[in-house]
Amino acid sequence: MRNPLARLTDEDRARLRQHLRVPVLSFLALLGLLAVNVTLGATLPFAQVWALELAVVAVMVAVILLFSMEIRHEPPLVRLFAGLGFFWVAILVGMTLTDYLGR
Amino acid sequence: MSGTSAIESGFAEREPHIPEPTLDRPIDYLHAQSTLRSWFLATDHKRIAILYLASITAFFIIGAVAAGIVRLALVVPDGAILTNDTYNKAFTIHGVVMVWFFLIPSIPATFGNFLIPLMIGAKDLAFPKLNLTSWYIFMAGALFTMVSVVLGGVDTGWTFYAPLSTAFSNSWVLPALIGVTIVGFSSILTGLNFVVTIHTMRTPGMTWFRLPIFVWAHYATSLIFLLATPVITTALILLILERAFHIGVFDPAYGGDPVLFQHLFWFYSHPAVYIMVLPGMGVISEIVPAFAQKKLFGYRFVAYASIGLASVTFFVWGHHMFVNGQSDLASLAFSALSFAVAVPSAVKVYNWTATIHKGRIRLDTPMLYAMGYIGLFVLGGLTGLYLATLAINQHIHATYFVVAHFHYIMVGGTVLAFLGGLHFWWPKFTGRMYNEAWGRISALFIFIGFNVTFFPQFILGYLGMPRRYGTYPPEFQLLNVLSSAGATILAAGYLFPMVYLLYSLWFGRRAPANPWDAKGLEWETASPPPPHNFLSLPEVPRVPYDYPIQERESGRQHT
Amino acid sequence: MSREAEPPMAPGVGVARVEHFATVEQQRHAAVLGIWAWLVTELLLFSALFLVALVLRLQHPEAVKAAALHLKFWIGAVNTVVLICSSLTMSMAIAFSRMGWQRAMVRAMLATAALGSLFLVLKGYEYYADYEEHMMPFLALRPYALAETPASRLFVNLYYVATSLHGLHLFTGISILLGMTWMAAKPGFLARHQNWIEVYGLYWHFIDLIWILAFPILYVVNR
Repeated sequence: MRNPLARLTDEDRARLRQHLRVPVLSFLALLGLLAVNVTLGATLPFAQVWALELAVVAVMVAVILLFSMEIRHEPPLVRLFAGLGFFWVAILVGMTLTDYLGR
Repeated sequence: MSGTSAIESGFAEREPHIPEPTLDRPIDYLHAQSTLRSWFLATDHKRIAILYLASITAFFIIGAVAAGIVRLALVVPDGAILTNDTYNKAFTIHGVVMVWFFLIPSIPATFGNFLIPLMIGAKDLAFPKLNLTSWYIFMAGALFTMVSVVLGGVDTGWTFYAPLSTAFSNSWVLPALIGVTIVGFSSILTGLNFVVTIHTMRTPGMTWFRLPIFVWAHYATSLIFLLATPVITTALILLILERAFHIGVFDPAYGGDPVLFQHLFWFYSHPAVYIMVLPGMGVISEIVPAFAQKKLFGYRFVAYASIGLASVTFFVWGHHMFVNGQSDLASLAFSALSFAVAVPSAVKVYNWTATIHKGRIRLDTPMLYAMGYIGLFVLGGLTGLYLATLAINQHIHATYFVVAHFHYIMVGGTVLAFLGGLHFWWPKFTGRMYNEAWGRISALFIFIGFNVTFFPQFILGYLGMPRRYGTYPPEFQLLNVLSSAGATILAAGYLFPMVYLLYSLWFGRRAPANPWDAKGLEWETASPPPPHNFLSLPEVPRVPYDYPIQERESGRQHT
Repeated sequence: MSREAEPPMAPGVGVARVEHFATVEQQRHAAVLGIWAWLVTELLLFSALFLVALVLRLQHPEAVKAAALHLKFWIGAVNTVVLICSSLTMSMAIAFSRMGWQRAMVRAMLATAALGSLFLVLKGYEYYADYEEHMMPFLALRPYALAETPASRLFVNLYYVATSLHGLHLFTGISILLGMTWMAAKPGFLARHQNWIEVYGLYWHFIDLIWILAFPILYVVNR
């Protein structure tokens, strides 16, 4: 078969690079963002740090959806479904908070 | 079509005096195979629909018997017939079985399963094995719940409110909770299958606006299955752990919040009302044009109203919680949004009425049920507006007014639509016609029996009789006896179809492909349909409900 | 960036049509839509737990903080790294399946399963450490370390519910993955069932996504 790596032809290497570029880049991005969050969580630099942490998490989630799960290549319908899920989470949380924040 | 081999292995061998049937038409899904195994491992959506039909009928009977016991107990005001404990268990079994094991799967799992592929011109649902799995999951959940009934029953009401269900009830709550949790997965998988099927399996030419409203309604229902059910799964898991391990999340003793359970519960259970109602609306939208022989009025509005209902219903759950201490802000928001539900509901009712207007109306059994549905749904819907109003809700909250209101929707709506649909598509399911006279008589019994049972409950509730009590002040006895008397008429109305429909299976007249001159792809294949539904891929070159256009003057028409 | 669509499939890689579908394209579309519909339900399932965490935080901020400081922050962080790595190996398995490199794909799948198992081992160790520190309030007979703040037990118990539900998903995922790897190692698999890898990959990435949400919501923001 094709392994080990050393025996790959130049053409195979090019294909490998083409196919793995996005996964490796998103892997690095996720690790970097996680490092930011872990640092924030360990040092607690200021009072409202949770907001920043959640913003970083939102970016991580977006990276997984767009790049790891390849939503950007999917037809609009699949994107709609993914969006629908998050929108319904917003309904659940938002309407429940009308109670808890209004008490 | 060479289908003889399957028949040879059946009863023809054992009873040689019966001549081998001559196949003047293709072999149908009922006779394609005849072993028990071929039923219990069936992946054909039509056979799975029949499995569901048999099981939910059994649960309907259990739930109806429990309701009968409740109505019997309420004939006397002092609880002399049933102890309070037994009474609590009877109404809980009635609620749990009727809601989770009859109403929610009723129309989607049977008619939806059977008809969606036929109506969109597909060979099957997208995931046939998953479809069978759904049925087994459903039966597994039912088994757990029935275990709790056999062991001694549950007394919490179908809503399982904490902390009654977690800290105080001494009945068999755990198996019932586990059963209901499991059944949720069956709903999710059915909804998933429908959504994917409707999106991907439509035959060429079957555009979204050529779909029958039945399919639109099931699409909306399936979205609710997918988006609401997981939340109650989580709520029930937490409730199970609360009861088993006292994790405290819903327990005020540790600072937990029982109202949070209600939020999670009603986030599902209010939309679940539309899981029960929307498919019924789909059924009515098929029956009314067929028996008025007229195009459905305002097709697009009815289609959009289905999606509209499925969306709006997620914003109104707090109207079940007006008196439980949720914030005034929440009550205001939920009350205001609840009124919005009336808009798409009314759109549908007006459109059905306009369809009937100046149609060539035939009052056959399915149409009788449909007319009953429209009337009762209007009453149920309008009383819903009373309940959405904050001030009035304070007065009638948790009274028989609420009981009457939701029975007008659930029984007057869903059960009538279920029976109407059953009579409408019975020839398609079984290939047999039932006795029309008995059909009309039982429809009349059900309509009268239903109203005699539940209309007095509006009055009782408004006068202040609370729900869920086995005793009541003596001055309420007359109306309660009236209600119980109505229940016996209703019971007779339910029993007739069980007899004459079963009878028709063996002795009914053979049904033609399209006994009602109805439009829709399901009527263009044989009754009952062949295993893969159509012998050739159907083409859809036209709009839905293309009934002949009628001239204004009666008697003249052109096509 | 020069990308128009997904990287193309290698020759000999594809999907065999099942009878009730009209075309292979329809079949692939149905599978992708089906898994996404399932993932939406998973999202709502976990979101309800996250909502409970939020409500606890709003109602008992001090108790939740006390409880969150007892969680094993660094084990959680390392586990997040482990899952991000497993996401990479899963993406690699998908890429190899598209390229037709079956053996590389099988190895990437095994690596994914191994990383998933490592996560579960670390999680198990974390539970053990919690047990040693008397941080299992749902055990009626064992003393609880934060007994003086009763509301803290709600958050700690919720942590167990959320992480064990996630662990259950991971365990199921690893089992399915190993079963699929066994089938995927057979000759001809990529010609018939390449889309299984794609569909499964979506599930795996999504379990990661749930953890990416759970880690900050349980461990980080309440510190």
